[in-house]
Amino acid sequence: MSSAPSATGGGSWTAGLRDRMSRTVPEGQLLPDRQPAYVASWIYVFGVLTLAGLVVVVGSGIVLAMGGATWWHTSSLGHYVNSVHLWSTELFFACMVIHLWGKFWMAAWRGRRGLTWVTGVVAFVASIGTAFTGYLTQSNFDSQWISGEAKDGINSIGIGSWFNVLNPAQMLMWHIVLLPLAVGAITVLHVVMVRRRGVVPPLGDEASS
Amino acid sequence: MVSVFAAGKYVSWGVVSISLTNLLVIIGMIVVFVLALVIPFPHDRDQSSDGGDA
Repeated sequence: MSSAPSATGGGSWTAGLRDRMSRTVPEGQLLPDRQPAYVASWIYVFGVLTLAGLVVVVGSGIVLAMGGATWWHTSSLGHYVNSVHLWSTELFFACMVIHLWGKFWMAAWRGRRGLTWVTGVVAFVASIGTAFTGYLTQSNFDSQWISGEAKDGINSIGIGSWFNVLNPAQMLMWHIVLLPLAVGAITVLHVVMVRRRGVVPPLGDEASS
Repeated sequence: MVSVFAAGKYVSWGVVSISLTNLLVIIGMIVVFVLALVIPFPHDRDQSSDGGDA
């Protein structure tokens, strides 16, 4: 007969991981069904709208990847999916910037939320890099012109030898593999930090956090 | 008919030069930001009395 699992886990890696997860995000806070009263404002909606935009961006990107880099030039369906990818990216960035404005003006790094703020900043920067490499993978004259303009800037900071914006295949890999992995990982970390520390209270109302 | 080869319209102010489209997008985002601050958020009728604090 097996004994009941102990509360401390007895040193197994699964119990250790479970304990670590429960210490990272307090019980009941991972997917809460109630929030503080001050969260009842439209300005708090833009974070989750950004996440929704990211889901559509990744989903449409997966379909585009299955069709191939030039599929959208020859297929009306491909053109439609490419447009969904473009406009969901536009909405993703618009919502993210409005989210950023809201969090900046409410000083959302208060109450030991510095890492939440920093992971948001890194996610923003990584998203810009992902979008820029997207411009370079359109496989048209636009991407050709942009890469020609970008090469001087990239070379001026000394990384042109290994991050070659004139190499469409390399930029495609950055756009559909490396940078989405980075954005996805930092987004998960950002959301975990939000759930760990909770939503920042209004200025002057820190006692309610 | 809009020509895809036509140059876009730009707004210039000193050293600042921005396309009219980008300017309108930024203005639209600011409008949405302000509306998000001032438009009341809908409440559940049964939670309006206690504030719904977690």
